[in-house]
Amino acid sequence: MKSISFRAIASVAYKEFLHIYRDRRVLVLLIVLPPLFTFIFGHAFQAGQLTDVPALLINRDKSPGAQRFIDIVSKNKTFHWKQVPAEITDESDLLGHGVKAALVVPAGWSESLQNGDPAPLPFYLDGSDANTADELEGGVRQSLGDFQIDERNVIVDNLPPEVFELGKKLPLEVRHQFVSLMTAWTIKSNVLYNPKERFIDYVVPGIIGLILQLLTVTLMACTIARERESGTLFQLLVTSLGRGEIIVGKILPYLAISSCLIVVIIGLSWWHFNVIFYQPPALALICLLFLLCSLGLGLLISAFSRTQTQAIQFSVFFLLPVFVLSGAFAPLDQLPRPVRYLSEFFPLTHFCRAFRLVNMYHAAPTFYAGDLLVLFAGALVTFVGAAVLLQRTEQ
Amino acid sequence: MNETIIALDCLTKNFGDLHAVEDLTFAIESGTIFGFLGANGAGKTTTMRMLCGLTHPSRGRASVVGHDAWRERQAVREKFGYVAQRFSLYPDLTVDENMRFFGGACRVPASQLETRLQRLLRLTDLEEKHATAAGSLSGGMRQLLALACALIHDPPLLFLDEPTSGLDPVHRQQIWNLLYDLSHEGKTIFVTTHYMDEADRCTEVGFIRSGRLLAKASPRQLKASFRTRLLELDVDPVMPALVRLRGSREILGVSLRSGALRIYASDPERLMTNWKTNWPFADIKLLDQRWVKPDMEDVFTAYSQRYDGLLTRSTS
Repeated sequence: MKSISFRAIASVAYKEFLHIYRDRRVLVLLIVLPPLFTFIFGHAFQAGQLTDVPALLINRDKSPGAQRFIDIVSKNKTFHWKQVPAEITDESDLLGHGVKAALVVPAGWSESLQNGDPAPLPFYLDGSDANTADELEGGVRQSLGDFQIDERNVIVDNLPPEVFELGKKLPLEVRHQFVSLMTAWTIKSNVLYNPKERFIDYVVPGIIGLILQLLTVTLMACTIARERESGTLFQLLVTSLGRGEIIVGKILPYLAISSCLIVVIIGLSWWHFNVIFYQPPALALICLLFLLCSLGLGLLISAFSRTQTQAIQFSVFFLLPVFVLSGAFAPLDQLPRPVRYLSEFFPLTHFCRAFRLVNMYHAAPTFYAGDLLVLFAGALVTFVGAAVLLQRTEQ
Repeated sequence: MNETIIALDCLTKNFGDLHAVEDLTFAIESGTIFGFLGANGAGKTTTMRMLCGLTHPSRGRASVVGHDAWRERQAVREKFGYVAQRFSLYPDLTVDENMRFFGGACRVPASQLETRLQRLLRLTDLEEKHATAAGSLSGGMRQLLALACALIHDPPLLFLDEPTSGLDPVHRQQIWNLLYDLSHEGKTIFVTTHYMDEADRCTEVGFIRSGRLLAKASPRQLKASFRTRLLELDVDPVMPALVRLRGSREILGVSLRSGALRIYASDPERLMTNWKTNWPFADIKLLDQRWVKPDMEDVFTAYSQRYDGLLTRSTS
C-alpha cells in the first residue's frame, strides 16, 4: 500500500464539491431546508400544553350547587366548552359534535353530593390519542378538586357554633391533624436541568439530528451509487486512488457543508428561540462524531446499493424507524425495553442523549463518554465497511 | 521494443456456471496495437477488466507491465490508462475539470499537470471546448476526452473497450490517428472492437469466442490462414440466390458484399467447376464468378461462425 496523497484526496473532494455546486436544485434544498425545518419544528414543538380543546358541557342538574361547578369548570383554559341543551341524548357522539370530550352533570348530582353518596360525573373522551385523553381527564379532575375545596369551605363556614365548641374539647394534636387534613397537601417542585420547562430546549438536539441525519444519509447514499450507475466507479477504481482516499475525499465536502448547516440551525435556535448553548467545544465534538457516523452510514448504504434508486429506498427504510425510536422528540423511557435496545443502534439516539447531557444537565464528560465512543465506533465501522464494499464491482 | 508487456497465463473467469473467460494464455509485446475481437459476450470486456485489476480471476494469472494484475493492482494502475465501453466521465464537470480531476487522482505532479493538460487538449482537438460540460459534448468528443483523461498520467499502456462504437466515421478516423500517434510514441494499445476495418489497422489481432482464444496473429497472417480461396458470384436476382445458397449442403455460409455473394465452402474449386457446367437454379442468372482474397471480415466470420474447415489454425 502506498502512502496517502493529500492532493489525491483534495481532487476527489473538489470533484464532489463541484457535483453539489452544479446540482442547483439540491443546493437550494441544502440552503433553504435546514433553517425552514428548524423554524417549523421549533414552533411545532414549542406549545407544550393543550389549550382550547373543544368539548361539550351538558348540565342536567339545575341546582345552584351544579351551577357553581359549571362556573369553575368553565374557567379551565384546557377546554373550549360548547354549551348544549340538557335534553340531547347523543352526547357520546363526539365526532358528530366536533369535539374531543363531553362532560355531563347528571340530574340530581348536587343532591347526591349532599347525601353523602357522591355520584360520578360521566365524562366521554376521544381516546384515539392517548396523551390528549389523559391531559383532558386531568383538566376535569383539577376543576372538580377546586370545586370540592370551595364546597368544603362553605360547609365549614356554615357549621353551627356547637361543633366548634365540641372541637375545642379535642386534644390539641388531633385538632392539628384535623386542620392539616382540611387543607390541600402540596409539593414544592424544584425543577432541575430545564428550570423553565421549555420543550424547545429539550427538542433542539432532535431537530438538529433529524435534519442532519436526513440530509447526510440521503445525499451521501447517492454519491457512490451514482458513480456505480454511470460507470464512473470503474474509471475511479483504475486510477491510483486508494479506496481510503476515495472515501475520505467523498466525505470531506459533505462534512464541511453539514457542519455549516449545524451552525445555521444552532444560530437560529439561539436567535429565534433563545436556546442557550453550554460548553460549545463539547457540543462541537458530539456534532462532529454524529456527522461522521451519519455520513459513514450514508456511504455504507451507497456502497451497498447498485443504483441511486436503491440507495434512496434503503435510506428511507433506515431513517423511518430512527425518527420514531431515537428519542429525538419523545423520551426513550416511553418505549418498551426491547425497542429501547434497538434504539441503541441509531446514531441519533446517542447524539440526542449526549447533546442533552451537555446542554441541559451540564454533565461531566464521564456521563456521555459512552455515547461518544459508540458514535466513534459507528463511524469507523461504516467507513471500513464502505471501503470493503467499494471493491464489489462485478456487474 | 520486443519485451513482453502483457502476459496471460491460464486466465479464467467464471460467473457461477458461466465460463466467461477460459484458459487464456498469450503475450503481447510492447509497442503493439493489439485488437481484441469477438462477438458480444465472447469475454472481451471480462478479460480487459481482469487485466485492469477490476475483476478477480477465478484461476490463472495475468501480468501487466511486470506486475501481477490482481495482487499488485495498486502498482499496476499507474502504468495504464483505461477507456471504458460506456461514457464514464462526469457529465456535470467541464472538460478541464474532468482532466484535472483524473490528473490529481493519478497523482500527476502539479508542476507537470498544466503542460500535459494543454498538450492533450491540443492532441484531442478539445482546446476550444475546455470550459464545456462533458455532458454536452458530442459522442466523438466525449470519447476523445475519455482518451485524454486516460492519458493524463502518461502511461505506457492503454486499454480501450470499444472506443469507437457508435461514432461517426470522421471521429473514428480521428481516434485512430491519435492511436497511431500514441503507438509511434512507443505506447502499447490494447483495444477491443467490432469493426473489421479497425481490426485491420492493428498490428496484431486476437480472436476470442465463448471465452477461448481461437487465433492470435497479425491481420496479414490471419488472412493468410485461409486454406482455400474465396469464391465471389455476381447473380441476378441476389436475395433469392443468397437464401438458396445458404441452404446448400456444400456451403458453410454466404455473405453479401457490394452486391456480390461471397461463398464460404471447404472445396470452392469443385463448386465452381460444377456450377460452370450445371448451375442449379434455373430462375437465377449467374453473371460472373471470380476469386477474391479474404479480408478481416471474412476472417472474423470464419472464426466466429466456426468455419473450421476453411482455416489453418494460426496462433503465434
